[in-house]
Amino acid sequence: MDFLTEGFFQAFHLLISGNAETYSAIWATVKVSSYSIGSSLVIGIPLGFCLGYFDFGGKKPLRTIVDTLMALPTVFIGLLVYAFLSNRGPLGNFGLLFTLPGIAIGQTILSLPIVIGLSATAVEGMDKKLRITIMSMGANRRQLFLSTLWESRHGILAGAIAAYGRVMTEVGISMMVGGNIKWHTRTITTAIALETNKGQFGMGVALGLVLLAIAFGVNVSVSFLRRRG
Amino acid sequence: MDKPICEIHSLKHSYAGKTVLSIEHLTIVPASIVGLIGPNGSGKSSLLRLLGLAERPTKGEIRFNGQPAEPFSDEARFHITLLPQEPFLMKRSVFGNVSYGLKLRGRNKNVDQAVNQALSQVGLPFKDFAHRPWYALSGGEAQRVALAARLVLSPKVLLLDEPTASVDAASAQLIKAAAFRARQQLGTALIVASHDWPWLYEICDETLHLFKGRIFGTGHETMIFGPWRKLESGECGKNLSDNQQLRVSVPSDKDAAAIIDSLTISEDGAATAGGDVILRGTVSRLSLERKTGRIFATVVVGDLPLSVGLTRQQTREQKIFPGKTIFIHYELGQIKWI
Repeated sequence: MDFLTEGFFQAFHLLISGNAETYSAIWATVKVSSYSIGSSLVIGIPLGFCLGYFDFGGKKPLRTIVDTLMALPTVFIGLLVYAFLSNRGPLGNFGLLFTLPGIAIGQTILSLPIVIGLSATAVEGMDKKLRITIMSMGANRRQLFLSTLWESRHGILAGAIAAYGRVMTEVGISMMVGGNIKWHTRTITTAIALETNKGQFGMGVALGLVLLAIAFGVNVSVSFLRRRG
Repeated sequence: MDKPICEIHSLKHSYAGKTVLSIEHLTIVPASIVGLIGPNGSGKSSLLRLLGLAERPTKGEIRFNGQPAEPFSDEARFHITLLPQEPFLMKRSVFGNVSYGLKLRGRNKNVDQAVNQALSQVGLPFKDFAHRPWYALSGGEAQRVALAARLVLSPKVLLLDEPTASVDAASAQLIKAAAFRARQQLGTALIVASHDWPWLYEICDETLHLFKGRIFGTGHETMIFGPWRKLESGECGKNLSDNQQLRVSVPSDKDAAAIIDSLTISEDGAATAGGDVILRGTVSRLSLERKTGRIFATVVVGDLPLSVGLTRQQTREQKIFPGKTIFIHYELGQIKWI
């Protein structure tokens, strides 16, 4: 178990010494996860809100589909996105295979159902008295919509964190679509997989701790925002 | 008579196919106070939600200032506001909650001052409460903040659904005073649903009795609910907790409600005071109907509270006071069934 202790020290060393390879993987991870979470929030929150707020025919089956997609295996998404982005695929001309935007597309597909599903749950879980309260204050339809969205922000934020956690920690899409190319598409998780294969457990643990630190930073920031909100 | 500010015409409202409200005609005049009395499930809250334009009636029409009004209608939404029974605050500070309605109206000037004034009306000091988050309030404080959020809007119609049902006595006092002041200072019409009958009798210009979604009287009638059963004597009625029997005429069904609007009292229960039925009870409360000057005595018979209207002279001559034992008389033939 010495490699765990070694990993702790190595993590500090890598971060403090500004190890270029480590920071390249961190930067790639932050960049690609920001792309994917940003796009899935922009697309997913309105869709999730509509799914939770409105009653319409086919809502239940749609909800079941979204809930099922929340458990999509990353390697399956990786396979599909690879197939679409490869030269033989319909999107092959865009040259997105083995690029960070390519990984981001796959991760967006991964996180979108989570954002939609948990946003819908957050909106559905709102107190029924909220609507009457907002309406009785004189809101028009648009104000009712926006105020309800704002009131469900904590639940939506929780969904966003869950989606971010899933995106940050996935390996399958990054490996298959990104190709784990050093200095280019190597993310923290693909680097950990590689280091483990090489028997470099210490380095793997170090990168794992960095990943954990990023997740911790995100959660602390979100908790701070929640307290302020 | 003043032009009505709110009117209801041929209204029917249903939930899942079951009619919960059926009102042919109702008018509310500006600066009036209307009390809604009725048991749980009688339609009081549904009526308030419809008048508050939070729901659209299944059939019929609601008018505000003579114009048809419905949820989100621009003519009415800034002038009618509803305070629901359970306090509900949005996830923001007290200031955010109270100023919310002003923001919806696009008002940016003197917001601090308006919030300060509204909070002080409900007995909450601005400096102590304005920046408290929604979760750091007691039930009574939350209800008062919710009322302040309505008062700050200077509404023309304020609908209060059991405003004092879930708060402590001190909060109830402040809520009652603040609501009454809104009528006095702003000319707001108040429509109040409450089980606090003496309070309603005291402040209301008109009280309406709701039962099974219908308005059937002015609220002063004594209403006794079933179930009814055959007594040993062969008549219908119910046994009271003090071994007296409350006898009634034959009900339309066993769960029908009996309305008795001609109760009289006597000090000795003498048959000469009239009535087929004489019951012994204790005066538990006296209240004044402000508009007519009549006094209403709540007389507890067994465990049943009955309301009896008295003149001032009667009250004085018969020395009616809480705690006094008196007799209630009524005629079986005068019972109405709904």
